[in-house]
Amino acid sequence: MIAEVVVSKTAAESLFGRWETRLKVPALLLLVFSFAFIRDLRLLPLLVLVAALIYAFSGLPFKYLVYRVRLPGFFLLAMAIILPFWSGQTIIWQLGPLALRQEGSLGLLLVAVKFFAILTVVIALFGTTSLPQLTVALRTIGIPWLITDLLLFTYRYLYQLSSDLRRIHLAARLRGFKGKSISALKPLAFISGTMLVRSHEQSERVFQAMTLRGYGNSSLPLPLFRPLPADYMLLAGSVFISVLLIIFQLIM
Amino acid sequence: MHIPDGILPVSAALSGYVAAGGVTWLSLNRIKKIFKNPREFIPRASLLTAAFFVASMIHIPVPPTSVHLILSGLMGVILGWFAFPAILVGLFLQAVMFQHGGLTTIGVNACLMGIPALLAGALFRSRRYFGADRKIINGLLAFLSSFLAIVTGAFTAALLLIYTIPAQLNVSAERAAIIILAGAHLPVALIEGVFTVMVVLFLLKVKPALLEGDRL
Repeated sequence: MIAEVVVSKTAAESLFGRWETRLKVPALLLLVFSFAFIRDLRLLPLLVLVAALIYAFSGLPFKYLVYRVRLPGFFLLAMAIILPFWSGQTIIWQLGPLALRQEGSLGLLLVAVKFFAILTVVIALFGTTSLPQLTVALRTIGIPWLITDLLLFTYRYLYQLSSDLRRIHLAARLRGFKGKSISALKPLAFISGTMLVRSHEQSERVFQAMTLRGYGNSSLPLPLFRPLPADYMLLAGSVFISVLLIIFQLIM
Repeated sequence: MHIPDGILPVSAALSGYVAAGGVTWLSLNRIKKIFKNPREFIPRASLLTAAFFVASMIHIPVPPTSVHLILSGLMGVILGWFAFPAILVGLFLQAVMFQHGGLTTIGVNACLMGIPALLAGALFRSRRYFGADRKIINGLLAFLSSFLAIVTGAFTAALLLIYTIPAQLNVSAERAAIIILAGAHLPVALIEGVFTVMVVLFLLKVKPALLEGDRL
């Protein structure tokens, strides 16, 4: 049900994989926000080029990108149905009551390119960074420990609870549960309730075990921050592109 | 309900970050006031967050299709002030693991799901004025909390999308789009309301301590 996020060896050793996470996260965050800032259609080829270059430097295979884009792509599909036919006044093609409008079609083009460009950068970021590395970066940019601890522990138990759910589901199916009609709502609610009760009870044992190992006495020290010149160059490159995109948008 | 990257203008995405930051700050302050040692409750909140994450992936059969639940109302009922940080963490994990939702829109999405979750929790906790151990009161408040959490989130998301998409819709198209987008969530809200009633009544019988909200 939940596939573990594994950063491949090639991706981890790529230019982006080796980039110090504490610089990579704010730099790429700034870049995706500058992508989101674009409203001028003439800047879209630049967005595509930057996103393609970043993905090429990430060392991730192309099929990984295609696989990852599938799920969020459904939302775009809904926009593709609404925007070109409902938005704007200039009709460019008509078939009976169905009218394709210029403003809506251009709006869809803007949304779609920004969507894929941002998604490509986000996939390159998360595909080359492990979750513990991301947590350290989040701590460095000022996210409170309560949130980062919650993030790490939730991630830790996600796989265990997912396999628990699979087991409960299998046991229910062996007892004749089909789950094909709305009447399955009650057993599924009880399965969810059972998971919540089990998690609550397990958390008491987990906290005791963690306390014995010293959790709560002091904050864990962050790994040493030792960026290389290449890390700063990548940061400078990202900031330069982001500022350039924003300036282009403002003057165009 | 998850608005992906690239759809909203940067002003809306940044406003979402600011609003989510504010609500997170408020939630953490309340948590620190309520719990003498908040660290003690991290494993519990994390395990319950993970349980919600996994439970939201259960497909509820609604022939000829199936829906997956959002569970924001139930999170508010069980996690109390922890609901907002838990939703924020859940959305971040969804963005990391499935690219579901978005990175620039994580603040907006957290507000769309998290603020109704906090309100749902507050609504459910009003049961102490009507009889906290009465089955009918628990069931009624559980349904309302969950139903309203989904409807409020979906309606706000629809409004946000309609008023921020790049090209302007005409007035009648706007109205139709809002009705369609929000209306599409109505069956999910009803199913989720009934589902929450069943989970709450189950917990009332098996582990009532889980319904204490802020005391976890």
